[in-house]
Amino acid sequence: MHRLAQKAFAPLLGTLALGGCATNQVPESALRLEESTLEVRSIQTRKMEAPSEIAILTATIAVLQDMEFNVDRIEKSLGVISASKVSDADDSGDNAKLIFLDLLCAAGGQPGSCNYSSQARDEQHIVLTMVVLPSLERSGEFSVRVTMQRAILDTMDRILVLERIEAPEVYQEVFDNLRQALFLEVSES
Amino acid sequence: MMLRIAVILALISMAGCATTTPVDVSGSKSQLESRQIQTRQYDTLDKALTMRSVIATLQDLGFTIDQADSELGTISATRYHQYTMRMTVTVVQRGEERVSVRANARIGEKAVTDAATYQDFFVVLDKAMFLTLQGVD
Repeated sequence: MHRLAQKAFAPLLGTLALGGCATNQVPESALRLEESTLEVRSIQTRKMEAPSEIAILTATIAVLQDMEFNVDRIEKSLGVISASKVSDADDSGDNAKLIFLDLLCAAGGQPGSCNYSSQARDEQHIVLTMVVLPSLERSGEFSVRVTMQRAILDTMDRILVLERIEAPEVYQEVFDNLRQALFLEVSES
Repeated sequence: MMLRIAVILALISMAGCATTTPVDVSGSKSQLESRQIQTRQYDTLDKALTMRSVIATLQDLGFTIDQADSELGTISATRYHQYTMRMTVTVVQRGEERVSVRANARIGEKAVTDAATYQDFFVVLDKAMFLTLQGVD
């Protein structure tokens, strides 16, 4: 074997030898609260008045339908509603960059190995939990907390991004919709 | 020479990995050992309020709830954050005034088996239980 190839392969094989069957360590802070917890909780939580638990739960489900979510599960006595949706995650700017990379790569003389555009964002899976419970502080008041996360997949169904959704405006929009739905629910009944 | 040693080491390490995938049903720790590190007993709140605290804890930790069953006291949750973490927490009434809370977690295809991570979870739950006890949402 060529000396250069030997030099290149030896560390690789050595790493493989050491890596062997190593197990992944649990991240140290996996179940510790982050410093931003209180802030995130306040972004995700609102107090709302409603005539009954059924009224606010009905309004919540209607809002999820308005936002084109599928309701996966409901546990009424715990006020837990789990919902999800799969939607488009296309980013035209990102796609243009990846196509450009493919072109550059092909121009470099290896057209068979150029497949950057398969890494384009294709779809996002959003999961959402709404917990609607009678407030512990005041009767007639309900505490509503929403948490959302998403996974973004590429065209080959590989996960590109796993993240909590933390943007305050996203949560605010949900609560605005819920207030409106609650108003409609009350005025219609 | 160096290359030969590296090749031998790599082959040995690969031989160490099983060539057939064993069926992992029983888990990696003994039943008793797992239960001990994953369980805490509480005598402060009833089952319903304990479940409420567990849900708040999971939400604080960034999980979304996949499903919850108040009768069986089971809550399953998932967190997407760099990696996928799944938890199942069960709340069981033990006698008149005690509830036991058991949590188990997996990150990707690995079970979380270290006591410290479960301890972290129960520290957060303790705080949530305290807030619920004080009547704070």
